[in-house]
Amino acid sequence: MFFEPFTDVVPSFFGWLNQGPLTLTIFLHTVIILPMFWIYKQEKANLEKEA
Amino acid sequence: MAKKNVSVWTSIPFWRRSAAWVTGFAVMLLIWLSFDTLGQISMGTDEDLKAGTTKRVPAPTVINYNIDYKMDKKRGSEVPVIGAKEPFFGKEWSVEEAADLLHLGKLTSQAKNCMNCHTLLGNGAYFAPDLTKSWLDPMWSATGPMQAMTGKPTKEEAMAEFLINPSQYPTHARMMPNLGITAEEAVGLVAFLKHMSSIDTNGFPRNFSKTVDQFKVGGTNAR
Amino acid sequence: MLASIKTNSLTNEGQKLGMMYFRVAIILFGAQLLMGLIAAIQFLVPGFLFEIFDFSVARMVHINALVVWMLYAMIGSVYMMITDETGVETVGIKLGKLGFWVLTAAVTVVVLVYIFVQVGAGTEASIWLIHEGREYIEAPRWADIGIVVVVLIFYWNVFASYMAGKQTGIMTVMVANLMALAGLYLAGMFFTDNISMDQFWWWWVIHLWVEATWEVFVGTLAAYALIRLIGAKREIVEMWLWIEVLMLFGSGVLGMGHHYFWIGTPEYWWEIGALFSALEPVPLIAMFVHVLYDWGKEQGMAHGRGEEGNVVTNGPAMAWIVTNAFGNFLGAGVWGFFHTLPQVNIYTHGTQFTAAHGHLAFFGAYATILIGMMYYGVQKAHGVERMAMNFKSKMGIFLITFGVLGMTVALTIAGYEQVLVERAELGGTWNAFFIAQELPWYIQAQLWRTIMGVVTLVGFIYLVWDLLTIGKESQKEEV
Repeated sequence: MFFEPFTDVVPSFFGWLNQGPLTLTIFLHTVIILPMFWIYKQEKANLEKEA
Repeated sequence: MAKKNVSVWTSIPFWRRSAAWVTGFAVMLLIWLSFDTLGQISMGTDEDLKAGTTKRVPAPTVINYNIDYKMDKKRGSEVPVIGAKEPFFGKEWSVEEAADLLHLGKLTSQAKNCMNCHTLLGNGAYFAPDLTKSWLDPMWSATGPMQAMTGKPTKEEAMAEFLINPSQYPTHARMMPNLGITAEEAVGLVAFLKHMSSIDTNGFPRNFSKTVDQFKVGGTNAR
Repeated sequence: MLASIKTNSLTNEGQKLGMMYFRVAIILFGAQLLMGLIAAIQFLVPGFLFEIFDFSVARMVHINALVVWMLYAMIGSVYMMITDETGVETVGIKLGKLGFWVLTAAVTVVVLVYIFVQVGAGTEASIWLIHEGREYIEAPRWADIGIVVVVLIFYWNVFASYMAGKQTGIMTVMVANLMALAGLYLAGMFFTDNISMDQFWWWWVIHLWVEATWEVFVGTLAAYALIRLIGAKREIVEMWLWIEVLMLFGSGVLGMGHHYFWIGTPEYWWEIGALFSALEPVPLIAMFVHVLYDWGKEQGMAHGRGEEGNVVTNGPAMAWIVTNAFGNFLGAGVWGFFHTLPQVNIYTHGTQFTAAHGHLAFFGAYATILIGMMYYGVQKAHGVERMAMNFKSKMGIFLITFGVLGMTVALTIAGYEQVLVERAELGGTWNAFFIAQELPWYIQAQLWRTIMGVVTLVGFIYLVWDLLTIGKESQKEEV
């Protein structure tokens, strides 16, 4: 079965996200990385203004 | 205005801001996760035990119950199973008595430096056996050698006797030294060990519950 | 030879204090090696010092001497760089010197109590006065409070100098990181009956030190050292430093999860610990590439300018820093990754695998660069322009590195055997433990570990000899 049923003792928000292969950790990695695109774009605009 | 060729990848401000964001956010997540976890690993109450509510770390009065470690199909690993009541050192301990005893046991475990030979929950030194589930170790069971060796009729009394005079009951060339553990401290330590064996460690150590019979028919608790 | 301990052409008070920290650090390093040897022999000869100086005592002093000598050398390194970076004399240096003597007196008392009192009764008084019995942070509560006070003084020295002088990128990272490093110690200063809770917070100190703040500290030191030793360009070094901070904290902070697999904490830590900590080696590769790349680049540019010879102004320091760059990746990165996934860790947790990783990681990531900083200190103290490797420096670095690598390989073999036999096959019970401990391959591995420990000790003797003499010898050559 690809998606496993919830197995942990106490249900919680993070336990709920942790219900399939790597779902929780991929979610956390994504929310950390995504804003870096915005930081990149802003920085690029800044540099272009200065150049 | 024509776009200039700029290099964001070599810009210090870009990396500085990214570092600040990633560090700050990771720390926030860690704090949030910690709050969630701390709620789950705080000790349960005596009422939880009476009602049969599963807690990752049960109340100190768990020493009044039989504890087992069994394969759980749903969890996919072995889990502690709290069973019927059983006397501990010949009596049932009240909520206060059990809490005091566990306090003494935990203090003694630190004062005697258990962790610099043994591992507790797998952490410590690697000179002596892991104590996570030592309460359930076949060595101490009615059929194991330690009760006969110490001449004590129960698991807890055998463990306490061993802890008071460890080098009198050697099983191997490598022995536990005499640490001046008093009779009272020994009872506390056994309570601490019994309580630790009731903690849900997500199946660590794996295969600890495997009996001789299970070995004979084959089979594994691995997944 | 002994006169050279005092020989000092330093005029900067902060750097003088840094040298004082280095001297205590190297003594504690020696104590660590001796205690390690006693403990290693006890694996082979169980009766050795039994009930006189038991394994638990030797091991406690072994790991505490390790932590304390590293903290001493780290503090010393910071005092070496304060003025170089900020351009002002260290602010509040008198208080800093007082702090040094208070800390050294406290450390002496703590060690003597460890060695002669060893264990106490199961009371709060033992936790306050003898030791706390918690691996790595055994220091009794009174000493904890003393350490906090001295660290506050040290932090004031750094912070006030930073505010008074130039605020470089390197110093900014240093000031912020030191605050986290010092603050985390507070997470280890309380008692609880709940062993899961106990270990939860214990890891806040241990993990967030060695896999986050100490690593960033090393990145900062390496950045400073590259500027000083090979004349690397500050802009490039500081850009790398921010990338390293991003990757080290990005993976290391939530990499904490790999300690929360089996201590009673929820299952969701499996995924968090697995993937975040699997990324922890990435910044270590980056640091390695960075050091070698910069060295090659500076050498190439010097060659292009038609300059003869080596750009490195301090041979032994640079050798130790390159060893650091690779050792950090190998010990912390590769040996850590070996057992960081929960599917593997369920069997390796609490075996000699951890000891193997511990030895190579503490050496590769921290001991190396701190020794490098000691050589840099010796160079400054003797006011020499160039310091080249000699026979003693080479023997020191070779024997210590070879010895630690040998111990690591031996312990890895012991751990592998333990994993298969004790854990996978027999389930980790009392009997399983001793069956695995008594197998020939395990005993052979422990024997090799002890031999390699002796090799390390011989290397250490060369190292100390060299640190005491190389300054004067280089001075003579330059004259």
